[in-house]
Amino acid sequence: MSEVFSKSKNITLLEILDRALDKGVVISGDIVISVADVDLVYLGLKVLLSSVETMERLRGAPFSGALEKPT
Amino acid sequence: MIKMSIYIYGITDSKDKLDGSLKGLEKAVVYNMPYQDIGAVVSDFNGEIRPIAESCVMKHEEVIEEIMRDFTVLPVKFLTIFEKQENVLIMMKERYDGFKENLNRLRNKAEFGIKIIWAGGKIKENISDSHNGNVQDPPISGNSPAKNYMREKFGKYKINSEFEAAANKRIKMVDDFLSKFAAEKKLNVLKSENLLLDASYLVERDKECKFRAAFEHFKNISGDMKSLFSGPWPPYNFINLPIKDKV
Repeated sequence: MSEVFSKSKNITLLEILDRALDKGVVISGDIVISVADVDLVYLGLKVLLSSVETMERLRGAPFSGALEKPT
Repeated sequence: MIKMSIYIYGITDSKDKLDGSLKGLEKAVVYNMPYQDIGAVVSDFNGEIRPIAESCVMKHEEVIEEIMRDFTVLPVKFLTIFEKQENVLIMMKERYDGFKENLNRLRNKAEFGIKIIWAGGKIKENISDSHNGNVQDPPISGNSPAKNYMREKFGKYKINSEFEAAANKRIKMVDDFLSKFAAEKKLNVLKSENLLLDASYLVERDKECKFRAAFEHFKNISGDMKSLFSGPWPPYNFINLPIKDKV
């Protein structure tokens, strides 16, 4: 077994969406969940990515460097 | 009648059973479906999650990260679903070699995200101002519409070239700090005018502290650039598998 990775990160929805929606192992499964629904999530992602200012607002704090203070 | 299907979170380097305490989408028990010496981390799924919300994506990620505590994991794209276990096993059989190669390559490594923001719009404006609308190298004399058009095009080209050179200089500065502690990297440059760099670095676990320290060092001297650091993540950006339409 591998050692436990640090869980101290400040996970942001933006970062998760950026990865889980179209990256990783891409397999064509048997069942397709309503594409329209997923598109809504994806559209949200694109909007989020569209500006740094939006990211700052989502974080609810003035933009001031790293999301996480490295330990 | 709702037909039960199988939701896949990731592929692991273990064929061992999970203890059943981990819950996935729809609060279903997460379990490992072994194939030879690897496994598919799955849960039963009735296909009724509505609406598809951010919380579903968060749960998908949460399961993968929990598994990542104990095993090497290849994260599977959100909402990958098979009709039955037999189909998952067929998929595992067909992709076994690729999964093994990736699992071996990514063992004891994690992904880190770095976003660098700069005032790209302002910098471009300053470059433009410095030319003051008179980019004359090479000089294009005359005032015909064609020559004016060429002059304008050349001016924009010069400004963009200088802008990209300024961007590349800063990106090299960031990357020089970080890449020496990374096994692999993916750099996306200027996704928008202000998003100078959206990078993912694959870092060996025993170099994680050095990588973080390198980022801190960079941050302290980064001047007008702003930075976002995130991780460790499952290695979403470092999966090398051919995409097949259907298994």
